[in-house]
Amino acid sequence: MKIFSESHKTVFVVDHCPYMAESCRQHVEFDMLVKNRTQGIIPLAPISKSLWTCSVESSMEYCRIMYDIFPFKKLVNFIVSDSGAHVLNSWTQEDQNLQELMAALAAVGPPNPRADPECCSILHGLVAAVEALCKITEYQHEARTTLMENAERVGNRGRIICITNAKSDSHVRMLEDCVQETIHEHNKLAANSDHLMQIQKCELVLIHTYPVGEESLVSDRPKKELSPVLTSEVHSVRAGRHLATKLNVLVQQHFDLASTTITNIPMKEEQHANTSANYDVELLHHKEAHVDFLKSGDNHVGGNSREGTFKETVTLKWCTPRTNSVELHYCTGAYRISPVDVNSRPSSCLTNFLLNGRSVLLEQPRKSGSKVISHMLSSHGGEIFLHVLSSSRSILEDPPSISEGCGGRVTDYRITDFGEFMRENRLTPFLEPRYKIDGSLEIPLERAKDQLEKHTRYWPMIISQTTIFNMQAVVPLASVIVKEAMTDEDVLNCQKTIYNLVDMERKNDPLPISTVGTRGKGPKRLHAYFLL
Amino acid sequence: MPTVVVMDVSLSMTRPVSVEGSEEYQRKHLAVHGLTMLFEHMATNYKLEFTALVVFSSLWELMVPFTRDYNTLQEALSNMDDYDKTCLESALLGVCNIVQQEWGAAIPCQVVLVTDGCLGIGRGSLRHSLATHSQRSDSNRFPLPFPFPSKLYVMCMANLEELQSTDSLDCLERLIDLNNGEGQIFTIDGPLCLKNVQSMFGSLIDLAYTPFHAVLKCGHLTSDVQVFPRPEPFIIDEEIDPIPKAINTDLEIVGFVDIADISSPPVLSRHLVLPIALNREGDEVGPGITDDTEDENSANQIAGKIPNFCVLLHGSLKVEGMVAVVQLGPEWFGMLYSQADSKKKSNLMMSLFEPGPEPLPWLGKMAQLGPISDAKENPYGEDDNKSPFPLQPKNKRSYAQNVTVWIKPSGLQTDVQKILRNARKLPEKTQTFYKELNRLRKAALAFGFLELLKGVADMLERECTLLPDTAHPDAAFQLTHAAQQLKVASTGASEYAAYDHNIAPLQTDFPSSSTERM
Repeated sequence: MKIFSESHKTVFVVDHCPYMAESCRQHVEFDMLVKNRTQGIIPLAPISKSLWTCSVESSMEYCRIMYDIFPFKKLVNFIVSDSGAHVLNSWTQEDQNLQELMAALAAVGPPNPRADPECCSILHGLVAAVEALCKITEYQHEARTTLMENAERVGNRGRIICITNAKSDSHVRMLEDCVQETIHEHNKLAANSDHLMQIQKCELVLIHTYPVGEESLVSDRPKKELSPVLTSEVHSVRAGRHLATKLNVLVQQHFDLASTTITNIPMKEEQHANTSANYDVELLHHKEAHVDFLKSGDNHVGGNSREGTFKETVTLKWCTPRTNSVELHYCTGAYRISPVDVNSRPSSCLTNFLLNGRSVLLEQPRKSGSKVISHMLSSHGGEIFLHVLSSSRSILEDPPSISEGCGGRVTDYRITDFGEFMRENRLTPFLEPRYKIDGSLEIPLERAKDQLEKHTRYWPMIISQTTIFNMQAVVPLASVIVKEAMTDEDVLNCQKTIYNLVDMERKNDPLPISTVGTRGKGPKRLHAYFLL
Repeated sequence: MPTVVVMDVSLSMTRPVSVEGSEEYQRKHLAVHGLTMLFEHMATNYKLEFTALVVFSSLWELMVPFTRDYNTLQEALSNMDDYDKTCLESALLGVCNIVQQEWGAAIPCQVVLVTDGCLGIGRGSLRHSLATHSQRSDSNRFPLPFPFPSKLYVMCMANLEELQSTDSLDCLERLIDLNNGEGQIFTIDGPLCLKNVQSMFGSLIDLAYTPFHAVLKCGHLTSDVQVFPRPEPFIIDEEIDPIPKAINTDLEIVGFVDIADISSPPVLSRHLVLPIALNREGDEVGPGITDDTEDENSANQIAGKIPNFCVLLHGSLKVEGMVAVVQLGPEWFGMLYSQADSKKKSNLMMSLFEPGPEPLPWLGKMAQLGPISDAKENPYGEDDNKSPFPLQPKNKRSYAQNVTVWIKPSGLQTDVQKILRNARKLPEKTQTFYKELNRLRKAALAFGFLELLKGVADMLERECTLLPDTAHPDAAFQLTHAAQQLKVASTGASEYAAYDHNIAPLQTDFPSSSTERM
């Protein structure tokens, strides 16, 4: 695994030249008439998106999927190009969300069809993209700082996704040459700078988009190495949903995603609340979640995505009964998901169900007809994960029982007391930094260890070993010794108690417990704690 | 990690070895001797390991399926016949099948290949396999790298000089390379004799089959334990930090978390944590190395009667439904819990999280976890009815925040219809109407889809003309107002098309109508 692969940094360069204001010539009916009111009304004419709108919404969808699945360490820099380059955000983690990008895009607005096309060019954006790739991200910076003398191990790679309308193949070549030259120049600059990094590898993805029904003037070309630093590929795509489909395929390729279709989801019908039908929902996630299928070549589980938008989806069946939260499943991986069709009713039903804290086991249909539960969908704090459950034979089967091993024959362990101990030593997050008296940062986890150390200084494991804890009701010594600091009153109390005990011993009074303990031994052991 | 022993039984293994002053040995005998030693070691010190035995020549055969019964394995060693030529590729393919059938593709396996370094001739020989390696298609893929995580150990019944005199060593090295470098080649150091074979297998045992002993600690409460299977070193990032990290032999409990809060976390591997009793020489008494069984039994009995922290911890974890968070190294954690095998048998298990400062997003950064006594009030509540977990992420995911996606026409139509439905229920639905309207407006502005704003404005104006006589007069005012606001926004003029601006309901003076009844 590499953190700083090409997908650490993605630069979108979207053409904002006058031509992009052209219609994509794919109509959208938006005035869908409700049945009982249709009479006598002519629906409003359908509208169509501009090339710009198609490009922007497709790239936003790319980002949506990416942010859902990789909320950290995968960054996008969005650039719009017309008479100059407009950089809409930075590499910082705060800038990495859809809301920021949408607000910035709204500020740019659609391209002006009446602007002078001669002044506008996608080149401004491409140059800015190379500049952006040289800029160090906070993750790269942090890694370099931690690695110190090995800082050169931190890679700087990136990807430029450029959506434009090119004039010809030679125009495309000109764009590629420009990127290559700019990289060359900026790498020279970066070599002499502390804040910039040289680009080691850049993947240029040029997407030529044009209105539906027109002939493309640019031909597709698979990935090709232009120089050791730069590779380039060209996609010629019709606008409208074709462009969206292309970017959906690309986001899957770029981030190693795979698709799972959850099938047989029981759902109440919108119109008839008392009937339910079964629905399918398609999710994207990292392809590691399919590692078992991929390696074992279990291809029969694959099917085709409903609209044939991309290669393959693995079908998993919704499984009832559901699992409960106190069960600890053996889970070999958990991967964030993103619904392909986020706003569709089946998708939002499924995601809301999960966000409400319920989990669903998923069953893998197998050739033999046997049922194997292989995955689980579950949300943790508003994020949904696809858990991979181990479905193969366990190498730990039939282990010797703990009662057969060391300490297994002892029967009077203080199980309940230790349970209480564990509950008192549960962990909780401390998100605000706290400081010690000397001003240094306090690490909560170290505090937890200190507390365990203190609480176990005197902690007999079996009932017959302890007198003090068994007398707890009468003699409150044990609860005092774990206190952070003893007050004078506590000390006084303890002393009183001990004198009492000593006194009782002298008088040969029985101790206030029924078990046979070593009489009078307690106070001696306790002696150390008074030094606290 | 299960083990597959792959034994070469081709004719070349019967080549005699000259051993001074004793009867004649064949290489095969040396191999059997070495394997016997390996099996004996496993039977005493590594007895939970599953091992299978495969023999091969031009064909292969599974002699013993995966078992912990080392007697059966030993017996099989003495029942091997001699066959024809070496054909490694088909044997490795056989190993793939055997392992995947039994364990799937996720469980790491160790493959111990025992051969004499004669790699066969003609088709099916390793040379031939390697020579054609680059011309393979998916259907006749070379079996390496194995489709499961693996280590390939090649035990050569030959010394280095002999292997280097031909290209055998190069071929075997390529084999390891093909397995992504996972594995190692062992050769006999010096002349071929029983003693040197023993030392070769001794190195394999040291490398792969020494039990992992550790000390489990919770403050002052401690226990000596064996962790089985051995935790494997892990590489966090091959580029930034290519050195494999191994876990500490001190396993330090840092605190406890409820099972519902840890919530079936993803783990790298899981291991049994078995308490052991170490005697003064540092030998373990528990799973026993003593030859005398009576001694062993009595020692076991004594150990069974001495209270052990593992047993206490296991009991309480089981009763309370909790896990113990354990630190395995710098920025590496795991969890201890009770795992029931059947109704009666249960065990202390340890699962390893992926190394890093934040292995589970829903617990947050591990270093930020502290004792509840440091919190102002108990985050679990006085009645134990709440929990500080899971942690909420800073940004919501798309499915949790009602994003607008209009790639499919249906997405757009649904959003428009929502507005329309609410428009027809004005003024009751004034708030929802404007909420939906503003959502559409924002998205249309971001996507530069101004034509839609104009279209929806037209639609609202039409709705206004269609209002029935019974409609509340406010409805017409609101519709006209909304339509007009969308129209000005659709010009894209900066004063009307600001993203953060929201269209507010028109303030009207009709009694009890301007606010929505919730």
